[in-house]
Amino acid sequence: MTPPFTHADWAAITPVTIVAVAALLVLIVDLFSGQREQRYVSIGIALLGVLAAGVYAARQFGHDHDAFFGGFMTGGFATVFQEIILIAAAGSVILYAAIGPGQRIAGTTAIMLWSACGAMLMAGAANLLMIFLGLELLSLGLYALCAASDRKTARESALKYLILSSTATGFLLFGSALLFGATGSVRLADFVNPMLASNPLFWTGAGMFLIGLAFKLSLVPFHTWTPDVFEGAPLPVTAFMSVATKAGTLAVFARFIYASLPSTVGERLLLPVWIIAGISMIAGNVGMLAQHDLKRLLGYSGIAQIGYILVALAGSTPLGLRYALYYLAAYAFMNLGAFAVAASISGDGEEGSQLRTYHGLARRRPWLAAAMTIFLLALAGLPPTAGFLGKILILATGVSSGYLWLAALLIVGTAISLYAYAKVIRVMYERPEGEEPRDLRPFVPLAWLSAGICAVAVVAMTFYPLTPSNVLPLVR
Amino acid sequence: MPLVLVTILLPIVAGAILFVLPRNDRGVSRTVGTAVAVVTFVTLLAARDGEWSFRWLSRPFAAAFHFGATPVSFWIALLLAICTASAIAASRVGRTRDFVALMLMLEGTMLGLFLARDLLVFALFWDLMLVPVFFVLIGWGEHPATAWRYFIYNFAGGLTLLLATAAFGVIYGSTDVIGRAGAHLAGGWAGWIYAGFAFAFLVKTPIWPLHTWMPPTYSGLPAPMVAVVSAVQSKAGLYGFLAIALALMPEYVHGAALVLMVLGAISLIYGAVIALVQTDAKRVVAYSSLSHLGLIVLAVASGNSLALKGALVYIIAHGLFSAALFLLLGFVEEREETRSLLRLGGLGWKNPRLAGALCIAALAALGLPGLAGFAGELVILIGVYQAGYVWPVIVALVAIVLASAYMLRLYQDVMNGPPDADVPVRADLTWLEGLAVAPLLAALFVVGVDPAPLLHP
Repeated sequence: MTPPFTHADWAAITPVTIVAVAALLVLIVDLFSGQREQRYVSIGIALLGVLAAGVYAARQFGHDHDAFFGGFMTGGFATVFQEIILIAAAGSVILYAAIGPGQRIAGTTAIMLWSACGAMLMAGAANLLMIFLGLELLSLGLYALCAASDRKTARESALKYLILSSTATGFLLFGSALLFGATGSVRLADFVNPMLASNPLFWTGAGMFLIGLAFKLSLVPFHTWTPDVFEGAPLPVTAFMSVATKAGTLAVFARFIYASLPSTVGERLLLPVWIIAGISMIAGNVGMLAQHDLKRLLGYSGIAQIGYILVALAGSTPLGLRYALYYLAAYAFMNLGAFAVAASISGDGEEGSQLRTYHGLARRRPWLAAAMTIFLLALAGLPPTAGFLGKILILATGVSSGYLWLAALLIVGTAISLYAYAKVIRVMYERPEGEEPRDLRPFVPLAWLSAGICAVAVVAMTFYPLTPSNVLPLVR
Repeated sequence: MPLVLVTILLPIVAGAILFVLPRNDRGVSRTVGTAVAVVTFVTLLAARDGEWSFRWLSRPFAAAFHFGATPVSFWIALLLAICTASAIAASRVGRTRDFVALMLMLEGTMLGLFLARDLLVFALFWDLMLVPVFFVLIGWGEHPATAWRYFIYNFAGGLTLLLATAAFGVIYGSTDVIGRAGAHLAGGWAGWIYAGFAFAFLVKTPIWPLHTWMPPTYSGLPAPMVAVVSAVQSKAGLYGFLAIALALMPEYVHGAALVLMVLGAISLIYGAVIALVQTDAKRVVAYSSLSHLGLIVLAVASGNSLALKGALVYIIAHGLFSAALFLLLGFVEEREETRSLLRLGGLGWKNPRLAGALCIAALAALGLPGLAGFAGELVILIGVYQAGYVWPVIVALVAIVLASAYMLRLYQDVMNGPPDADVPVRADLTWLEGLAVAPLLAALFVVGVDPAPLLHP
């Protein structure tokens, strides 16, 4: 009897395996390391693991292979998403170095890496079971991570996330079951069947599946958990969630709409998704206006940013997917950078991310303030940042695929968002008036370094727009 | 490295370096800043015929970092270089190092805008040039709300510009079109694209009723920066009309000419009337700008080739005298610690040099023959009349009469009459201040006497 899985199948998930093993190593080595160096040992092993996985995943770029009977696809598409997730994981792990000293971080680091494994599985998942597996692996870790802090809000955050995320998973699972019922297959590729257009079971299933994804992407009206969870969770976890969860879910969403929807169904089925994407751009940006906490602000900002990315996917054009990926990568850098600055300033204190902590930052930490300004400009879509180019690429896609109304909503949403982002810039650069300066954290090399790398990346991506050209053929 | 790129990057890099250097004596950063601005002026002269291009995007449309002066943009860039050098030399504000650095960055970003030959690069610099001004407004401005108004109005304009640029690129296939012969877009969405461009340009100019960000911004900014912003940044919109709208989509400019005519005429009169009753000296000049730029909008709307030549002359003239006026009023405010026309008065007796300089600038602004303002106004009016628009010419003539009234009133209230008891008259223009303003005043004479290089670029 031949073994069911070939060597190539195992090779396909090697990047995931590397990260999972690195997480185990973090735990094991932590047992044998002393008090002083254990933080750096944990972070070092985790980063090495992520780096190795990144290198291995990069080597898979362009080598498409359907592993596990079409359950997991390697190639350009999965690689790009996996690299973004790995960047998020690396950035978030580094932020653990910046939060409160004396905390044992081996456990949380390991869980975060396992969560990243889940997201990486989602990036390549091509059947419903693999999607579910990845999503659960990602979420289970996050429940624990959200609670991994001494603050009361952290527990509230974890509970909220657990309940709402489970609901979303319920939708997704039920939808998957109905899809299986309608098609007799769990492979996404088998849904490309024009006959399904007349099958109500398929419509219901696909609808519930998409609602489940919308929860995870925190699109309006399924977004209410985002700001609360973001605010309560520890800073590195928020940073991780804001990028990796979205990247993983977006991968599933993109594969679903590009590779598994017959064109007869696609436009009608997805129209509600584009509508809520449009609403998210407005609602997310409006919600941001009233925020006084940076984490909440970035939570709302994320709602709108996902809306922008979906504009690129609307119309399911090949170029759209490229630009969505470009914007997602840019978003990863700007968001991680903003969180890195936040961590360098305030750590994980109860009120650390309050905007008033940033008052007069430009005078006391000019470099951090400058980096933060770049990230905020990027989020707002102003030059000279990748946010500007990303936005114009998305606009061009929206215009050329006929979704002009989405492009117009994007413009309106951006105009609203400007006030919120500029508010933070103003707080940093305003002349301080009378208030006694708050204590800032001392120099945190790793967090500063990652903020710097992100800032350089955000600016450099404007001038060298790397949009992987052979992504689309590999979706299918 | 090509000179045209050096010209753009030099001020930006120098500004960034200034930020990194330790805070120093105010004189040092001012000297360095002025020197950089002068060198930029020289490289700009040398880079007149230079071009440089670097591929940026090939899909969804072709775009390139393509820079090079066109006959129109060269003169505006030159104006910018002169104004910046003068303004930096005249800078005496707190935290000089940061201020000078931001001034240099403003110059660099605006040079990028005017020398851009690609629409996408133009849009990039359009947004980018807001940032230094925003920082100055929050760091040095008089009222925080001003910064919002400036930023949000202009950014909204920038967003429609962005959408229009994206749509243009998708339809035309390339954005590398500024100054390219034969580039032309018509039909389909072109009307909407023009509307998007026009909105951005009108906000920036500004034109009634989109002007409400302008008076508080101009009166709130420190004098050296407002000199550059009013002289050059406000011309970005008019330059856009000349180099983009009229070049690429002339049918639509002509088709909607009446709208532009009406808005321009309203701005002409509205700005002039408000300028007559303002008591804040900077606001008088701010509203006079609204009025003067309305005249250029008339020229653009007429589409007459003579009027368009006049528009360039008047763009340069307005840049020169508004920069001079703002700088000189800045000197007045610095000395007397007020710029209220109700409190100022009688400075002229003790300050003949300051009074003389202000007099020349004010006379240029009201269109005295022999100075640059007259040359531009006359050519525009003849051109608009030739195009068959009579009523706008009459409106413009009324506004020019009003211009004499408010400019003379400004001069009278500041320099003539009895000095106010509690506003002591301080020392006259120093030689350094005089040197800073002198190039502007000299250029006013030169352009006034011989505008031919501008008329036949």
